[in-house]
Amino acid sequence: MGRSRAGSPRELQASCCRCEADIACFAATDGKLLSSDVTHYVIPDWKVVQDYLEILEFPELKGIIFMQTACQAVQHQRGRRQYNKLRNLLKDARHDCILFANEFQQCCYLPRERGESMEKWQTRSIYNAAVWYYHHCQDRMPIVMVTEDEEAIQQYGSETEGVFVITFKNYLDNFWPDLKAAHELCDSILQSRRERENESQESHGKEYPEHLPLEVLEAGIKSGRYIQGILNVNKHRAQIEAFVRLQGASSKDSDLVSDILIHGMKARNRSIHGDVVVVELLPKNEWKGRTVALCENDCDDKASGESPSEPMPTGRVVGILQKNWRDYVVTFPSKEEVQSQGKNAQKILVTPWDYRIPKIRISTQQAETLQDFRVVVRIDSWESTSVYPNGHFVRVLGRIGDLEGEIATILVENSISVIPFSEAQMCEMPVNTPESPWKVSPEEEQKRKDLRKSHLVFSIDPKGCEDVDDTLSVRTLNNGNLELGVHIADVTHFVAPNSYIDIEARTRATTYYLADRRYDMLPSVLSADLCSLLGGVDRYAVSIMWELDKASYEIKKVWYGRTIIRSAYKLFYEAAQELLDGNLSVVDDIPEFKDLDEKSRQAKLEELVWAIGKLTDIARHVRAKRDGCGALELEGVEVCVQLDDKKNIHDLIPKQPLEVHETVAECMILANHWVAKKIWESFPHQALLRQHPPPHQEFFSELRECAKAKGFFIDTRSNKTLADSLDNANDPHDPIVNRLLRSMATQAMSNALYFSTGSCAEEEFHHYGLALDKYTHFTSPIRRYSDIVVHRLLMAAISKDKKMEIKGNLFSNKDLEELCRHINNRNQAAQHSQKQSTELFQCMYFKDKDPATEERCISDGVIYSIRTNGVLLFIPRFGIKGAAYLKNKDGLVISCGPDSCSEWKPGSLQRFQNKITSTTTDGESVTFHLFDHVTVRISIQASRCHSDTIRLEIISNKPYKIPNTELIHQSSPLLKSELVKEVTKSVEEAQLAQEVKVNIIQEEYQEYRQTKGRSLYTLLEEIRDLALLDVSNNYGI
Amino acid sequence: MAGLELLSDQGYRVDGRRAGELRKIQARMGVFAQADGSAYIEQGNTKALAVVYGPHEIRGSRARALPDRALVNCQYSSATFSTGERKRRPHGDRKSCEMGLQLRQTFEAAILTQLHPRSQIDIYVLQADGGTYAACVNAATLAVLDAGIPMRDFVCACSAGFVDGTALADLSHVEEAAGGPQLALALLPASGQIALLEMDARLHEDHLERVLEAAAQAARDVHTLLDRVVRQHVREASILLGD
Repeated sequence: MGRSRAGSPRELQASCCRCEADIACFAATDGKLLSSDVTHYVIPDWKVVQDYLEILEFPELKGIIFMQTACQAVQHQRGRRQYNKLRNLLKDARHDCILFANEFQQCCYLPRERGESMEKWQTRSIYNAAVWYYHHCQDRMPIVMVTEDEEAIQQYGSETEGVFVITFKNYLDNFWPDLKAAHELCDSILQSRRERENESQESHGKEYPEHLPLEVLEAGIKSGRYIQGILNVNKHRAQIEAFVRLQGASSKDSDLVSDILIHGMKARNRSIHGDVVVVELLPKNEWKGRTVALCENDCDDKASGESPSEPMPTGRVVGILQKNWRDYVVTFPSKEEVQSQGKNAQKILVTPWDYRIPKIRISTQQAETLQDFRVVVRIDSWESTSVYPNGHFVRVLGRIGDLEGEIATILVENSISVIPFSEAQMCEMPVNTPESPWKVSPEEEQKRKDLRKSHLVFSIDPKGCEDVDDTLSVRTLNNGNLELGVHIADVTHFVAPNSYIDIEARTRATTYYLADRRYDMLPSVLSADLCSLLGGVDRYAVSIMWELDKASYEIKKVWYGRTIIRSAYKLFYEAAQELLDGNLSVVDDIPEFKDLDEKSRQAKLEELVWAIGKLTDIARHVRAKRDGCGALELEGVEVCVQLDDKKNIHDLIPKQPLEVHETVAECMILANHWVAKKIWESFPHQALLRQHPPPHQEFFSELRECAKAKGFFIDTRSNKTLADSLDNANDPHDPIVNRLLRSMATQAMSNALYFSTGSCAEEEFHHYGLALDKYTHFTSPIRRYSDIVVHRLLMAAISKDKKMEIKGNLFSNKDLEELCRHINNRNQAAQHSQKQSTELFQCMYFKDKDPATEERCISDGVIYSIRTNGVLLFIPRFGIKGAAYLKNKDGLVISCGPDSCSEWKPGSLQRFQNKITSTTTDGESVTFHLFDHVTVRISIQASRCHSDTIRLEIISNKPYKIPNTELIHQSSPLLKSELVKEVTKSVEEAQLAQEVKVNIIQEEYQEYRQTKGRSLYTLLEEIRDLALLDVSNNYGI
Repeated sequence: MAGLELLSDQGYRVDGRRAGELRKIQARMGVFAQADGSAYIEQGNTKALAVVYGPHEIRGSRARALPDRALVNCQYSSATFSTGERKRRPHGDRKSCEMGLQLRQTFEAAILTQLHPRSQIDIYVLQADGGTYAACVNAATLAVLDAGIPMRDFVCACSAGFVDGTALADLSHVEEAAGGPQLALALLPASGQIALLEMDARLHEDHLERVLEAAAQAARDVHTLLDRVVRQHVREASILLGD
């Protein structure tokens, strides 16, 4: 039945938990229901949805019913971006809001009357549906319709009892008086809208050409007249240079290979970094070259390239297909600047933290109070009549220069949101407290293979690691063959698909490691406890076990499945390496051996040493096979091709990696590879794999040239030749050369990406860096969401093999593709935030040091690239890369006297292929070659609106002699964590200084042995503390 | 404006149907007195009129006559006002010829041609709003039934498309115009045999089964409806005859 009913207004459908019939009909869709414990339901009018969607996104606002009419109005008038925001809101299970398809509902549908305007009809429809909905809930739930239409309020306001029609401002005032953030946001939206209206009345001269209509753009792209791409602004010359990276379809028929240069703000025509734009190429005689000279971030005017390189395709933006505006962190101008901006005090130009974003015009009265803070704003519009975009103020992050504020800035700039896990999410978590310890349940014991007795399972991790998600085992089978096992924490057992925690983990996508802290993807009860495969406790695991031939180590058989394990040892890398080397003295460091008597200790130790030895043997063998295909070993933090499966990679790049590192990594790669094969075979169109596309050859040109300077030849034709030639390019006198070359090779490559197998041809699955045909991430489900998806796929594949029904539905290809895009994007954000936070800490470290006197500010640097007015340096001691000028702002050039100390003198620079010569007017000259060691002084260039930057200055052209070279070299990687510690400490000290008074009182207590009674004095002190807290709370509005 | 959303997140199509739902079907048999059989069908906004003459002797060239079975002759023409753009020629263009050929194939499979030597079916479409072929087949089935020509079974046709991983049954014009794959299926519902299957645009073979199943299910639904129409018609006719 029901199939043949008429086209439009038909099916009865609503969703509120009050009427059971509806529950039945809603089960067919996504099953999202409004909660019944709210005081009212709110129905926003179409205009409200369009203008105040940001406020409706507040999680505090509950019981929102979006009418289909309103959603369609958004879709038609506000474009895809806002509509997608609305769609995501509706999809998100955490938000208490639903869509009601009122136009498809028989009683709610109203035909548009003759002569009735669209707007009036929309409002009428929404009101009519609101009334119907009210009666549908048996008049028990009051409905509030919020609208901006005064007429509608008059007309409908008192028409139906129980259905209230009020303005949005009114609604917020009456129902949410305490929701301060919403009020502020509402004010700022109102204000910016008013401004915009005023502005459109005043007719300015046009600053920018109008964008072309969408049809023209699409036709133009098809015919090849225009080119579509993503706008990338050059960070160092944000005002002048931007590049458009071509996107797929448009590049194949045009013969352009390089990016297109967009020169100047006018040609950029109101597009912002990250937008998908349409460009028109300029005639060849107007083409310009990119600037090769180093340029300081803040010089706007002098940039038009002293000596631009050869012209490249240049174009201008004719339209924007997709705006990728996000939240921006900005800084208000300081007092003096405000005055100079003059008459229009209400409108203020704020400077975004990100150099690539143009200044934004904000209208606010709070400018003065917000001066010293980092503030989040959003862009509303950019009219062709206005030089700058208009925006509105959203919230305050924290004080400028304050560690917490700056970290929050980094998070917002990378669109990372890490609010603490909510109660609803924590409710889903299993309990493990001393009172009610978590136990292996008997049902699971039945279902899983029990490895607790039969296998020696152990983990090898960095020292102090909390989240152990992989363990290993190896043993000899009865037939003499070996059995290698990799056991991974069974996170999916605890995280059910589409549970609150799953949704949260999916949004986070990864654990974010910043320099001094981390934001976990899963709550700590899972990540550090129940999913962490600690020593001596029973844990659930997902295992892969291979049967290997005893002699050739060929894989004979493989088994995948869920298991129960008990890890016997939680080793750390150094100890494992010692055991492998036969140095048994480390035994005392391993806690598991402490309480054993001599004899059993000896036996167990032998067993463990055998296992580690065998494991290493197998790993070597597997590795050799992969090397044969051309696996790369790359140095560098940007792309962790090889070191990916170890924890906190970034912190631990040892100069000579221990062999155990490689052993563990190799086992993980093997496991990932086999899982990838398995899920791909079972689900050829919806498996999540990881690809690493082969790099473009032209990106290697810099690497090749650099290597040539040192007399090496780098063959980049395939991954095998590249790996071999990188191995050969080793300067015995200078190990840094090889490291730099490897990091250059890494930079030339594209990033490895997740993808869905349904949307890629099989040839593209290849992983270039690891030289594997299929690869995925399986071994770290605690900190990566991709691994959770892969775990579910593997479980589904196993049940498919057993001809069992697949529990829960897997992602379809399309959903998976979207998810992959999200995870890739989040991974990139994680990398950026990590890099930025490291830089932040580096800056804070050097900030307090006086560069002239402090020994630590002077260091050895290696030149790795040459530009027309300076060189790029790498400082191995701190792992810093940066630029140093050979020509300063006054046009003076560097010269080095006989004592090799540098001075600034008038002169000129001359750049060659792999050297740069500075000649002064009085004939002295000094030449810097690639890979020369020089002495640099590190100082900080403070900046109010942006992050501080590190400045390098060459003070001598001779390598820096450190009294104790050996020691520094050894400690260089470790220094970073020390650096973080030191900065954190100094920040804490600063805070302590403020509270020092309170502390003194406590000390007095101790000294005079007074008991802590509730005297009036302490009470007053507490009140004073509270007052302090209040003030600080106000900052965090 | 954002692109047209053929299937919303909530699972509604542009006209408010769900993925597997048909448009409203209304049909009448015996609309013309002078023809042997005739029927009129409305599927949503698509309207089709079918008339059947015969079985009768071959007209025109005798050479066309087949010795062992009847010749099914189909003509398709659409009214000049039936589409968004006004047509110049009502029939005889390539599209109409192709449609006629398809109809002929479909009905040669269904009509027990060996019983009757000559017959001719003419089909006219008044307004086209997607699924013209399906409407024609359904109308013609009713008309053939009305003419009392023995058939193996009803021939029920329906189209299906594929959007965002979901198979949509009975495409409307908007959905057809969006350019996705489109599959037309004529089914003999009782035996489940396929009389005609046609597809334009590319569709991955993995999805074919689902789309096919959606079309078949829709065709079976059409069958129930047509069956009801036929029974109603017979009942009315017998009352008229009886009294």
